[in-house]
Amino acid sequence: MSGYRFDRLKILVVDDNPHMRKLVETILRAFGVVQIFESATAEAAWELLGEINPDVVVLDWSLDGMNGLELTRMVRTSPASPNPFVPIIMLTGHSQAEHVRQARDAGVTEFLAKPVSVKGILTRLSAVIENPRPFVRTKVFFGPCRRRRNHDEYHGPERRAPKPEAADVKAMAGAI
Amino acid sequence: MAKQQPIEIFMPPNILKAKMGGGIGGLDMAAIKRAEAAMASLKDEFGDWINSDVSKLADMRDGFAANPGPDTVGDLYRASHDLRGQALTFEFPLVARIATILCKLIDGVSDKAPLNLIDAHVNAIRVIVKQKIKEATDPIAVTLMKELDDRVADILGKAGVK
Repeated sequence: MSGYRFDRLKILVVDDNPHMRKLVETILRAFGVVQIFESATAEAAWELLGEINPDVVVLDWSLDGMNGLELTRMVRTSPASPNPFVPIIMLTGHSQAEHVRQARDAGVTEFLAKPVSVKGILTRLSAVIENPRPFVRTKVFFGPCRRRRNHDEYHGPERRAPKPEAADVKAMAGAI
Repeated sequence: MAKQQPIEIFMPPNILKAKMGGGIGGLDMAAIKRAEAAMASLKDEFGDWINSDVSKLADMRDGFAANPGPDTVGDLYRASHDLRGQALTFEFPLVARIATILCKLIDGVSDKAPLNLIDAHVNAIRVIVKQKIKEATDPIAVTLMKELDDRVADILGKAGVK
């Protein structure tokens, strides 16, 4: 038993297909999630984000109008974003490595390829609860660290920098 | 040599963990069983759901046929992409595969996709759903799928799409 209080979790499910929304909602309710909000479009989801302040967003890539990647970029970088740090789980029929890279570069936290599976949803939820990624800010990107986790296990020199003292890395934990 | 970009890395407070409590050494098997039972309870609806998705695909095909262009082919792509992602859940693996081939065609040549080849995909999907072919190894359906795949590969090859 996990002991997770899923009843405390507030999730926004964004998918233009009503069947997929119902499927995801059914799985989440079985986990014990009671606060589930739905949106068929990214535009409506953007409005809802400000109203309900969800803990997690489950987002389809392919949407009518603004797509899931565009919404993710807005959430991460728009000055009007209600919560740039909200975990975004992208649930999509796209499954190629190039799509995973694009999602990661847009600021998606976790990627889950359809078909939907119970284990897939639970493992992604567990990941955002137990192992949240550090956030990275550069001139061209803001979002979850695009490298895989287990950062604590690496104790070597900064990989990007020619020498450690040259890296403009600011530890901001606790400053937010 | 590439210029070093300033980079800030920081860890936001784990509010979610504090809110949710608990913790797991592995997956919560009870939650998985509950959710799988809930998902199984939807199976009776899967037939209606896939019929609805196939009808939408056919409507989008009609829209594209009447007015070929980036918008209508985008609608068709999204309908096909939905089937690609969901048909396996609805226990129609061959529909998922044929929808994947149709998506590949549209990805490659967009609104230049030949209507007769689009129709071949849509009709194949309709037949498989109508006849409730759920076996991934159904020989006739597999042969048809291979033919569609070859024809799409041919079109993409001629268009110079890798």
